Amino acid sequence: MFTRTRTLLFLAFMVILSLAIVSCGPRSQSAGTEQSITPDSTSSITIVIPEDPPSFNPMVADTGYDSLVMELVLLGMADIDPYGNVFPELAAELPTIENGGVVVDEDAGTMSVTWTMREDIQWSDGTPVTADDALFTWEAITDPVNGSWIPGIDYVDSIEKLSQYSFVVNYNTLYPNYLTQLGGEQIAIWPAHYCDLEQGFIAWDCGREPLSDGPFVLHDWLKGDHMTFHKNEKYYLAPKPNIDQVIVRIVPDDAVRKTMMLKGDADIDMWINTTVAKDLEGSDVVKVSMSPTDRWLMRIFFNLAQKGTVDSSATPHPILSDVNVRKAIRSAIDIDTINSEIYFGLATPVWSEFFRPPYQCNVPRPTYDLEAAKALLESSGWVDSDNDGVRECRGCSTGAPEGYKMEMEFITYPEFGEPLILTQQLIAEMLSDIGVKANISVVEGSILWDQAENGGIEQSGNFDMDIWDDGYPGIDPTDYIWEMYSQEALVPGFGNNVMRYNNPEVDALIDEAYTLDEASRKETFCAIAERLDEDVPMVYLFTTPNAEAYSARIEGIQSSVNDMVTWNIADWTLK
Amino acid sequence: MIPQPSEFSIAIWKRFTRHRGAIIGMVIISLIILLCIFAFLSPFNPEKSSLAEKLLPPSPAHLLGTDALGRDLLTRILYGGRISLTVGGIAVAISLLIGVPIGALAGYYGGKIDSILMRITDAFLSLPSFLVLILLAAILREVELPIFQRNSVLTISLVIGALSWMTFARLVRAAFLTLREMDYVSASRALGASDRRIMLGHILPNGIGVVIVEATLQLGYAIIQEAGLSFLNFGIQQPTPSWGNLIYAAQSHFTKYPWLAIFPGIAIFLTIVSVNYIGDGLRDAFDPYKVMEKVGEWT
Amino acid sequence: MTAYIFRRLLQTVGLLFFLSVILFGLVNAAPGGPITAYAGRRPRPEKIAQLKRQFGLDQPLPTQYLYWLIGNDWTTIDSNGDGIKDSAGLRKGVLRGDFGFSYRTRKPVLEEIQSRLPNTVYLMSVTMLVALLIAIPLGVYSAVKQYSSFDFFATTFSFAGQAIPEFWLGLIFIIVFYAWLKNPWTGEPLLPSGGISSLGSEFSLSDRLAHLILPVVTGMLGWIAWYSRFIRSSLLEILPLNYLRSARARGLTERTVVLKHALSNALIPIVTLIALDLPYIFTGAVLTETVFAWPGMGRLYYQAAIDRDYPLLLAVLIIGAAFIILCNLIADILYAYLDPRVRYE
Repeated sequence: MFTRTRTLLFLAFMVILSLAIVSCGPRSQSAGTEQSITPDSTSSITIVIPEDPPSFNPMVADTGYDSLVMELVLLGMADIDPYGNVFPELAAELPTIENGGVVVDEDAGTMSVTWTMREDIQWSDGTPVTADDALFTWEAITDPVNGSWIPGIDYVDSIEKLSQYSFVVNYNTLYPNYLTQLGGEQIAIWPAHYCDLEQGFIAWDCGREPLSDGPFVLHDWLKGDHMTFHKNEKYYLAPKPNIDQVIVRIVPDDAVRKTMMLKGDADIDMWINTTVAKDLEGSDVVKVSMSPTDRWLMRIFFNLAQKGTVDSSATPHPILSDVNVRKAIRSAIDIDTINSEIYFGLATPVWSEFFRPPYQCNVPRPTYDLEAAKALLESSGWVDSDNDGVRECRGCSTGAPEGYKMEMEFITYPEFGEPLILTQQLIAEMLSDIGVKANISVVEGSILWDQAENGGIEQSGNFDMDIWDDGYPGIDPTDYIWEMYSQEALVPGFGNNVMRYNNPEVDALIDEAYTLDEASRKETFCAIAERLDEDVPMVYLFTTPNAEAYSARIEGIQSSVNDMVTWNIADWTLK
Repeated sequence: MIPQPSEFSIAIWKRFTRHRGAIIGMVIISLIILLCIFAFLSPFNPEKSSLAEKLLPPSPAHLLGTDALGRDLLTRILYGGRISLTVGGIAVAISLLIGVPIGALAGYYGGKIDSILMRITDAFLSLPSFLVLILLAAILREVELPIFQRNSVLTISLVIGALSWMTFARLVRAAFLTLREMDYVSASRALGASDRRIMLGHILPNGIGVVIVEATLQLGYAIIQEAGLSFLNFGIQQPTPSWGNLIYAAQSHFTKYPWLAIFPGIAIFLTIVSVNYIGDGLRDAFDPYKVMEKVGEWT
Repeated sequence: MTAYIFRRLLQTVGLLFFLSVILFGLVNAAPGGPITAYAGRRPRPEKIAQLKRQFGLDQPLPTQYLYWLIGNDWTTIDSNGDGIKDSAGLRKGVLRGDFGFSYRTRKPVLEEIQSRLPNTVYLMSVTMLVALLIAIPLGVYSAVKQYSSFDFFATTFSFAGQAIPEFWLGLIFIIVFYAWLKNPWTGEPLLPSGGISSLGSEFSLSDRLAHLILPVVTGMLGWIAWYSRFIRSSLLEILPLNYLRSARARGLTERTVVLKHALSNALIPIVTLIALDLPYIFTGAVLTETVFAWPGMGRLYYQAAIDRDYPLLLAVLIIGAAFIILCNLIADILYAYLDPRVRYE
């Protein structure tokens, strides 16, 4: 049975079988029928990201990768640049009060915004982009069954078509963020003649095989492997884009992505952390672009209510409900050391929610002072009487039982990556130096931020302290401040005031912020900043830059906190 | 008549010691265990940072270098070894606790009990185990019960153990099926011994060989599984070090500071090769017929 | 034999039903849900409520299972959250081939699986074939030369294969063969870091092979260990048997005895073992696929686990379990067919 010839035959068969599998292996399905472009004759760049974008519509899952590819193929009415300036895309000009685009009814407290669109933009199949597309998009978004929630959706009463290239949006309030309601990093205008409304905004096929009016056209997409985009010959800013082909390659492992960048096999690695940024410093091949302003403010949230409860006045936290304890913790954290040792000096210490233009407030920086921190704790009745390194309540003001230990859970989330994990460990050590024991745990962001009925840790108040980075999108903080600090937002499910912070003065100030008057808004925000600095419902630590690694052969890249790095891909050039 | 336990074990031990690989494995694993136990003798604290000396390469002061917070890597590997070996140990204990009774009951009583228990075993064997492991780890690590705290050693061990008891059940069942018909078992039954006594006192000790061999191999398997889970960030979380999460933490430094990943990997490697050799030696030791004729030829 | 197969098929159906209940409960016990797919920090409550309605998660668990199994197109649901049941359900249920929609992409789960399955089958079948090609001679030779130095090294090699964490080895391979070593002719990295093929170039066999080398070598070590140890011990059980002694006594060379008589008998358990391992061709290797950016099932599942994409997780688990059960059945039948001593009780 097994003679030598047969063995050889068997081996040969196995080898042939393997080769047959290799040659019949999967191939990428081509979406178009264009002749394939050979790499030598064209300019091509490769962007590496860790996972497939779920679709081209960021409203489906909002992973950031969807916005990245959306910027390649779809336009909105207007977009925001890295410096916070809004610029028109489909719009001929931005509607303002001065040019008559915005009409305010002071008495009713309402406004209407008239958008006039460019008439020279067309979809890649030659159909012009018109007001019908904008109205169609709005109809799809607001569909009660298959629609989606978008910021400010409740402030819009109606949208009416005025002409083929203009329409008016009627608001039931004064909405400061109206410019990017149909634009920005998440919303695009979708083609009415191509997308199927029946399939619904979040599920339609055109979200995965989009028609393009942006600088590039999707050519093929092998799920989990790569996407190829070719230059859109019909782009309205022709001869832009200057690059003929963009490949988006899926590479899950961080270390492999970094190595590919250094080897020149990848041109852009999105959202790198400071460790990677530092590693790439001094490389001739790879440069790092950082956003001119930051958005994500690393902060420690204090739960002012007892762990597991959501009412800070009925069941105050046995340790954290005393503002002096919170101030002591704030004084015990050496932000500069964290910055230099973990973030290589790339982070920026920040001590107010209002740290970036247009709203910057001058709150004095809290000082790092261990002795002051200890003294504060002593004077509030927290003493280490048994010398075990952890303080106990000895006549403390929070109403905790005598002898109650100053021991708390301190949570963070892992998705941020190594720097935050290390930061958490260092802060826990710093707290132990003043006799506060912080027990570290790491919980996925999805669980940390989920709704109370799903066991969301913050919403259900099931924490003492946690640390993560948050910040408002775009340039208007009003909605964000309401969600984070107002008394209405402390009810689980109604907002994000998970500190259960309750200050009527702040509530009144937040109400005042809903106006289009810039000067008075700024004054209001700075008054809020001062109250927050006194009450310390959270400790602001520092902001980390939004950074992208890119190949030195590309020019024109500017990282942004207001959009994905591809926001201006049409302007990039290759050396 | 079966040999007395003492001389029986001595015979096994003698055969075991003739297996060179097993002895080397035994030495290495004992060394690793001892080092892990006496890790507290290290002058360094595994969790306390020392920022002035972060990311140092191996040197006489820090034999295996330091990590991103300046903690001594050797110390962390030793403390991590405690965790990894504990995970392995508890996981095996859990699978033994589930698998052995199921196998024993099925094999001893047969019939309906056997078929129900074996259907359950089949069901578990039909699960794509690593995939379910990922799922369970993802679920359980968010649960906060008194003993199963977030991402704890016990949680991970439980998950691994709960998905690897089936081999024990099958092995023990097979052993019981053959042994229950043996004369000495019938004899003790005739003498009025209770089922429990027969199972625990008479059958189990004679079927124990295969179980021990399998348990040894499962120990290595559990350590690898924990490492794999940690690589996917579903394992034990920092700052508690385990060999798996030490490699995970080293990932972002892989090109620049390779020692951070290489040394914990070597620790896993050495442990598992040793454990496998011990398993191999035990298998030969418990199965004399296979070895006797050729013993000594291994050079 | 027909009756035997029929009875086994019935058992299979029961087992699958049992598993589906367990897995459904398990997957749904996980905290989080469709909102987990949102990397955006803290989605708005309105958004979450809407998502839950869209995916039917506002229903009690048994109802959810029922809808998952047989669909909800025979009933009406409250689609806009006003408390009134207003439109017919759209789901057909697993029994009619509808595994639901992925939370993450809102596309039918089966489409997601179909787009990944060929890649995994491709990688895993090459891995297993190559592993067998190496493991069979290795196992046979170390059994024949038991306790020789070859056997010792083969044993050590296979123990090492089981002992190296594959993700760790994969990363080291990438550093060595991609970052450090260069192709002496072109100056490019010796081997690619991952993916199925080079982009932007025409299909070429050598390019495909180059992309296969690292993931296959990383993935196959464990398999080689597994198969070669198994072949070795199966042969060792057979070699001292009487019929081989008589063959030797008839003056046949050891080579003929081993290859012709022993191996053909040892092949029976080996073939069954291979049949039992076939499901891995479907479920793939999570760790290898992650390291080498291979767009396969394992990574699809891992991403789904991170996103808590229940429908996708469930589908992969159920289909995976179905494959395992089916392959068990095939293995049993094969065993019965190959080994006439087995009776169909």
